[in-house]
Amino acid sequence: MDETVAEYIRRTVLKMPRDEIKMMLQKWGFLSEAQLQTLNFHQQKDNISQEVVQLCEVNPLNSYFFLDNHIYQNKRMWSVYQMKKSGEEEEYFDIADFKKKFKGRIRSALKNVTITFKEYEDNAIWIRVAWGTPHKKPNQYKPSYVVYHSQTPYVFISASVLKSNLPLLCQALIVASNYRDIREMELRSHSLNSLKDIVFKRYSQNFQTYSPKPVQGWNVEAENADRRIVHENRSVKERIHRLNQESFGCGPQPKLEFAQYRLDTMFKSDPKMDVLDKKEPFRCLVKFSSPHLLESLKSLAPLGMADAPLSPLLTCITHKARNYFKIREKKESFVSP
Amino acid sequence: MAARRGPARGPTGARFERRRRAAAAMAEEPPEDGAARTLPSLRQLSRGLPFGRSHGRLGISASGRLTLPALCSQENLDAQKTAFVLRKAWTLYSVTPLYGFRRGCLRDYARLLSAFIAAEKQKGLAVEVGVELDIKVALSSLADLRGSELDQAGLLVQLSSRSRASSRNSEDKLLWSGWFCSMFGDDLSENVPENFTCLPLFLTHGAESYTALVGSWFQKTFDCCFRRLAISPLNLSWMVAMWAGYKLERAASAVELVFSMPRLSHPLDISYAIHPEDAKALWDTVQKTPGEITQGEVAIFMDCLYAHFHRHFKIHLSAAKLVKVSTGIASAHCDGIVKILHSQYLPGVLMLLTELAISQIQ
Repeated sequence: MDETVAEYIRRTVLKMPRDEIKMMLQKWGFLSEAQLQTLNFHQQKDNISQEVVQLCEVNPLNSYFFLDNHIYQNKRMWSVYQMKKSGEEEEYFDIADFKKKFKGRIRSALKNVTITFKEYEDNAIWIRVAWGTPHKKPNQYKPSYVVYHSQTPYVFISASVLKSNLPLLCQALIVASNYRDIREMELRSHSLNSLKDIVFKRYSQNFQTYSPKPVQGWNVEAENADRRIVHENRSVKERIHRLNQESFGCGPQPKLEFAQYRLDTMFKSDPKMDVLDKKEPFRCLVKFSSPHLLESLKSLAPLGMADAPLSPLLTCITHKARNYFKIREKKESFVSP
Repeated sequence: MAARRGPARGPTGARFERRRRAAAAMAEEPPEDGAARTLPSLRQLSRGLPFGRSHGRLGISASGRLTLPALCSQENLDAQKTAFVLRKAWTLYSVTPLYGFRRGCLRDYARLLSAFIAAEKQKGLAVEVGVELDIKVALSSLADLRGSELDQAGLLVQLSSRSRASSRNSEDKLLWSGWFCSMFGDDLSENVPENFTCLPLFLTHGAESYTALVGSWFQKTFDCCFRRLAISPLNLSWMVAMWAGYKLERAASAVELVFSMPRLSHPLDISYAIHPEDAKALWDTVQKTPGEITQGEVAIFMDCLYAHFHRHFKIHLSAAKLVKVSTGIASAHCDGIVKILHSQYLPGVLMLLTELAISQIQ
């Protein structure tokens, strides 16, 4: 086995939290169940990793590189790209052809790369690319990951720091998948599944239906409401709740961690205040961050920290599939290009 | 004529001539209209601050009014000597006056502190487990770090290490630094008896364990008391309003306010960054008298920012907690951590922090 590969496996196992090693090796699927049984997980991590390397040497070299995938699952930043077809022809997707063309395109530009593929049950094709230079072997510790669902025009890319290789990666994707063009969407998150939920519209959407009466028997009160107060502001609370439902939908929200707005709008103030009245925009950059941004925003109005309905700039995140915005002034409302 | 301000009088009724001169030295240039307008004295300056020296209570005084040192005169500050302050995150403490501190004994104190640290390590309160470190202590005076003649000169404490394993010629590595300072802190110093040295502000950079060691030695030796200095949202809003108004030659970084809503089931943080030219333009229309800020003006400034935000997002930022402000001049965090980026405004920033420290002590 190549020395660098052995080193890579050893280092990656060492990075795993001790109590998760077994689970991650199982998920990795490279070693058979029988091989995993032979491992002693109660010894020093150093020894465990050595044993893993020895076991790997027995296996044929194949997709071992996905080992690091599970460690950084939620630490990686994913961007979403959308591909455009040239015509209307529905072509049959041939995975072997895809792999061949992808590898071919990358290798024609760069010799020192490691490209590995893995197919998952949900029709997702994972591609891992480790980049080198004409003079250096591929860096296995900073790979790019690509996730492609062949029945859709969407690609999810976790580029890693080597951003200069991104154009080549994009090119290889459109060549391999027979698309004409690819563009980056303004949508980024650490949670790949949430990104999929948003672009594949797998969350519960807010339907603009009018319900004259709130559903019976459901609890309007916020968590820290005083139980002794029963009727106070009930109608206000119900109204807020209903408006919130309309904006956000009833189901759980996709998990995003941040949203960013570049504001290029005018500063408008009460004329009595005698303050700034410039003809140029008041330039701001606003960033929202939270472990679960959409649920957090949803909770603001019921707690009185925001008006209901919440601004469409925030509620449009899921159905516009973006969390990066540039807002300009347009007469009375806001536009985002 | 600014008849609204009386002559400076201390609690004993005596006048403070020296302070007037200091105030004059502070302002950049005389008022343009040439009228014999009395510069508000420092006494008024401190009394009016919401930093709250009035009668020892923290809070906004009715006439919340602050006179800015604007561009403090540079002759007092040697940029090289104060360079160590810039671009580092300093943790803030308030310190009660030191009893029996002698400026001439710095070398002895360094020796004693060094012995104390070694003894604590022997006791097993090692600062770094398994690392053999010789800790060298240096104490020095910072003659330039003071506001007026009534202030004590600053005092710098540095802990360096020379690893025993390395060669004789190896350089010392600076492990920790802390400095005591008083910038126009006369309100405190005039009230203390002889034998006490007032250096109410203490800033540290380095591991918490070293801070604890140095702090406990000072406490034992000079019978003083250290307390972490928190900065309230109100004081943070003063800082951002003030610093946003300062002019910077080069392109400066944004004026950023960071808000937190920690008590939600999913906590939310909001960073609100404004282009520095636009923030300054807004502040310039709010501030009515150059060289002076009032609580009302700060409130209007903040309300404008809240209103602009609400117009877009329908969120009431005023309901969130302001935890950090950041400008091209300096940044401050509510946990009492500051970073100063410009030597030109160092005296102004230190003066504010001294005020905060003093109000925490009283």
